[in-house]
Amino acid sequence: MKAYAAVFRMRLRMELQYRGAMIGGILCQMFFGLILVALYRALYAGGAQPVPIEDVATYVWLQQAFFRMMLASDADLLDKIRSGDISYDLCRPIHMYGFYYARIAAQKLTGSLMRAVPMLIMAFLLPRGWGISRPSSLSALLACIPALMLGLLCVCALENITVAFTMKTLDPRGMQGLLNLLMVTLSGNLFPLTLFPENWQKAITLFPYAQLLDAPIRIYTGGYLMSGVLRVYALQAFWVCVLAAAGVFMWNANRKRMIVQGG
Amino acid sequence: MAYIEVDGLTKDFIVKEKRQKGKLLREKKTVHALRGVSFAVGRGELVGYIGPNGAGKSTTVKILSGILVPDGGEVLVGGLVPWKERREHVKHIGVVFGQRSQLWWDVPIVDSYSLLKDIYRIPEGDYEARLKELTQALDLEPLLRTPLRLLSLGQRMRAELCGSLLHRPELLFLDEPTIGLDAVSKLSLREFLKWENKEYGTTVMLTTHDMEDIEALCSRVMVLGHGQKLFDGRLPDLLARFDTVRNVRVKYAAALPDLHLPDDVGWSRTEDGFELSYRLSALPTAKLLSLLEEAGEISELTLQPENTDRLIAAMYKELDL
Repeated sequence: MKAYAAVFRMRLRMELQYRGAMIGGILCQMFFGLILVALYRALYAGGAQPVPIEDVATYVWLQQAFFRMMLASDADLLDKIRSGDISYDLCRPIHMYGFYYARIAAQKLTGSLMRAVPMLIMAFLLPRGWGISRPSSLSALLACIPALMLGLLCVCALENITVAFTMKTLDPRGMQGLLNLLMVTLSGNLFPLTLFPENWQKAITLFPYAQLLDAPIRIYTGGYLMSGVLRVYALQAFWVCVLAAAGVFMWNANRKRMIVQGG
Repeated sequence: MAYIEVDGLTKDFIVKEKRQKGKLLREKKTVHALRGVSFAVGRGELVGYIGPNGAGKSTTVKILSGILVPDGGEVLVGGLVPWKERREHVKHIGVVFGQRSQLWWDVPIVDSYSLLKDIYRIPEGDYEARLKELTQALDLEPLLRTPLRLLSLGQRMRAELCGSLLHRPELLFLDEPTIGLDAVSKLSLREFLKWENKEYGTTVMLTTHDMEDIEALCSRVMVLGHGQKLFDGRLPDLLARFDTVRNVRVKYAAALPDLHLPDDVGWSRTEDGFELSYRLSALPTAKLLSLLEEAGEISELTLQPENTDRLIAAMYKELDL
């Protein structure tokens, strides 16, 4: 366990070094947040929608704040696979899936927290209907935190599947492009899932992508009631287990037939 | 039983070729990287593993270190099958791939070492002692707090070697460890390897293209070509089989005389003398010397055996590698 904790700490420290990237990321996400909110306000000006505009703005800001958790790959890690430097990791007395899982988790956690905290503060300062609203209740805020953690575990398991694919294809871009497309549409990053037709939502919220941020956001805004919160956690945990099992299976299958690149 | 036992090792790679015009599918070609390699290495041996590019050296090292699963044959390292009992096996081995890096690019090297300590579960006290010993031997102490990206290639190689030895491996694989190093770094690296081998009885398997590495370090050398083992024995014995050429430089005191030499002696004129090379089988050395003396008064004469690199090149050529 110590080895996994150590690589987690190491990757975390590395992420903290990239302060320039953090500032750039915040500016970019602030820009997108404002554009998206302006867009939805225009939509709402045309006619009333089933979800209040304050909730949509909150949804957009939370998605933008945690953007780094969703759509960011560990470039170093993928490079290692391409170049064959992964050889060294393969000669360690550790389980590769767990080792890379810890690495990915550190990157996603630090990367998103570093950006989320300043962004959320700024989003709170924006006028009502433009910025983020307060949580529906204190208990909703507290209940949102475990859901975020489960979402993080889920997205790390997803990312590790991309990494396992990369072991086969060597170039991450194809698979990444495809999976990222699913990610932005089905996670609510591009378009809040709350604005999808009611029937669609029933299906989409069961998908793994909805477990990442959509579920915690709905707890925050009160879309998911406190009475049903355990059911939300259970669904998230279910996907964490399924995705992790799939990832471990892929890693083990890869090991048997893998060819490490380079002489 | 020997420490490393390899028997009939085979490994094929399937390479997809570029699609031919008019064909729907790409053709597949099988490359036989290893075709039945067998050898045994005893504990504490320092073995050189040489062969031209693409001979299967790295493939062997990857199989022995548990990264790659072979297609056939048996391997036991210290009683374990590397790819089946990988996690147990890799605890006891250290690997240095000369062209790759195991240390983290952006952080001080001591932090990478600390991560390795946790990965190999090295007890704190043992880690401190070993790190001190290695940093002194490899002259790394002033660099410990420096991020890897700021180190020169020679410094980096020493740092990598230190990282691979922290957990006191019984077996060390070195894949071209001196590639790109300057003379001083090469010499100190070799000194260190000798010391490590003597002090702890570490078994070392070294692949390299630098024949001086082999001459300086290895009591035994294996030659691999086309996926097969072609030679296994002492380096002098290997060289003796191909060591048939001598080079002579001769300078004359007075003006350069005309040389009358047999046709199969190659020679060229230099500023103040001649350079000759000849086959021992074609012309005994004593005969050549007397011919040179007859031509005029010799002021300086040096006789050199063929350089090792050329010998190896000749050997690869003769074996059609």
